[in-house]
Amino acid sequence: MSQSTRIQKLAIANRGEVAVRIIHACQELGIETVLLHSEADVGTRAWRMAGEKICIGPAPTSESYLKIDRNVQGALSAGAQAIHPGFGFLSENADFAQAVIDANLIFVGPKPQTIRSLGDKISAKQLIEKAKVPTVPGYAGADQRIETLVDEAASIGFPVIVKAAAGGGGRGMKVIRNRNEAADLISSAQREAQSAFGSSIVFLEKYLDHAKHIEFQVFGDFTGKCVHLFERECSVQRRHQKIVEEALSPSLEPELRAEMAKAAVTLAEKAGYNGAGTVEFMVQDDRFYFLEMNTRLQVEHPVTEMVLGVDLVKAQILTAAREFAIWKQADLVPRGHAIECRVYAEDPFNRGLPSTGELLGLHWPEGPGRRFEVGFEAGDEITPFYDPMLAKIIVWDEDRPRAIRKMVKTIDDSIIFGVRANLPYLKAILTHPEFVEGIMTTQFIQSHFPEGLTPRGLTDPQTEFGKRAMAELQGRPSKPGAGKTSDLDVLAAPWSGAWRGV
Amino acid sequence: MKSFTFEIDGKTHTGRAVLSNGTVWAHVDGQTFVYESPEKRSIRRAGKSMGNTSPDEIRAPMPGKIVKINVMMNSKVEAHDVIVVMEAMKMEYTLKAQAPGRVSRIGCVIGDQVSLGQLLVKLET
Repeated sequence: MSQSTRIQKLAIANRGEVAVRIIHACQELGIETVLLHSEADVGTRAWRMAGEKICIGPAPTSESYLKIDRNVQGALSAGAQAIHPGFGFLSENADFAQAVIDANLIFVGPKPQTIRSLGDKISAKQLIEKAKVPTVPGYAGADQRIETLVDEAASIGFPVIVKAAAGGGGRGMKVIRNRNEAADLISSAQREAQSAFGSSIVFLEKYLDHAKHIEFQVFGDFTGKCVHLFERECSVQRRHQKIVEEALSPSLEPELRAEMAKAAVTLAEKAGYNGAGTVEFMVQDDRFYFLEMNTRLQVEHPVTEMVLGVDLVKAQILTAAREFAIWKQADLVPRGHAIECRVYAEDPFNRGLPSTGELLGLHWPEGPGRRFEVGFEAGDEITPFYDPMLAKIIVWDEDRPRAIRKMVKTIDDSIIFGVRANLPYLKAILTHPEFVEGIMTTQFIQSHFPEGLTPRGLTDPQTEFGKRAMAELQGRPSKPGAGKTSDLDVLAAPWSGAWRGV
Repeated sequence: MKSFTFEIDGKTHTGRAVLSNGTVWAHVDGQTFVYESPEKRSIRRAGKSMGNTSPDEIRAPMPGKIVKINVMMNSKVEAHDVIVVMEAMKMEYTLKAQAPGRVSRIGCVIGDQVSLGQLLVKLET
């Protein structure tokens, strides 16, 4: 039985772990699901879980997940009443939100005009300046010629960062350190922006070089009344893509937290915000600067859910159905500490190069305070067409040191076979003294792990374990203690050199 | 994925492993490793030696799409010049020349979906 009278069936315009997350929320709400998917995602976990599925095009995102008309048509033909855009793809595209509404469907997210004024970072900056929130000096003009952008970058003063006006998540972002490399990096950012978000418009900002990334989760009910759900710190970023996030920030003084929360709620209410949104700030030398507002669910939303005991995706859907009275601010009291690690299909021992292929085996070590948001299962194919995120591991514990220890143990016991994954990289981050102390800035990865990790050798017991497992799997069972048989001795030499960390 | 328990040097080690296509993936003591059979290893080595270790060739270090080619036939290039820009998993990667030279062959066009190790540009150094 659906708890929602307006939404009996919801279409999901996304893939991977966020599609699975939305399906879970719908199942709990008694809402049927329709997955709008590309040809490449047939048979993946979300595809198997969805009640119905409609193929909206071939693998390239520009021909499927970014096609507004095909997503809307798919939802209509399945008889859905609403579309949830997830994150990435069309989630911050005002034209998509408008097309959904024009088709008499409910868009799970803010109003198109809100997305237009906030999601587009150029107009968001103008709005927040009116709200008297400090911003980073930059250029957000309509003149997008390379020569103009290069000149503007020079007048801001290097280092300067170039970003996609329509997006987030690290795509279409580059740091420019001097004038010589400016033109190349700006045009590369424009192409990435076009490919990832369907718009090549970029803007420039002064690059803060020892800042923390701290963002506030906000939520507006359907009348536009907003609360904040405290902050997340996401300073651990590589190429401006977040890797490890936590709630709350280990380094925010109560006065600054209160000031930033007020700014975030003021901005959201001025924009008449509905549903879940995130106001991102950079914090450097006890001053905060508005970075951008993301008018959608955030990848790292689970850490907020863990410390506050809320379900943001269910809240989004119920708010879209005009059925949800949001939390009272006074009831939102964080407890304990939560950390999220993004598990990417990339080789930490080879400069983070993407890894593709069939997932041969996965194991997630369940336990108290451990949560796994997983988009794929054994047998699924990791293709080069999409973001390399395989899963997210989230832990909660009473305080930050315990949460870190729990995450390290959880990573140690997680298994991914078939593609190379960044688990050793995540562990190296979590055990780094700067992270443990909580003083990391957005330069953390660049300063400590610029080239990923150095491959390491195996211990003798590991090598021995591998030998015996190989023999058993090939159907020639090894007797216990038979490691010194002539059969294994013959193979020992080439093996030792062939083993390497993944 | 199969679970194995072995006694090694008087201690019990429990882990998991799977065999696929001549490659074993194993997880024990908190770490994951791969082992490639000797035949498979020599094939991969050959592939690697054809990769960007050779200064006169630019090869695809991963499967992906060609988004930009900065050179034409007979272009002169310097070491560290960006020759090709690829996109994989929504991120761009630049492939640079390792040594100065002249372009003698271009094996891809913009928009191509290329495979791991594919020759993209050949240089005369």
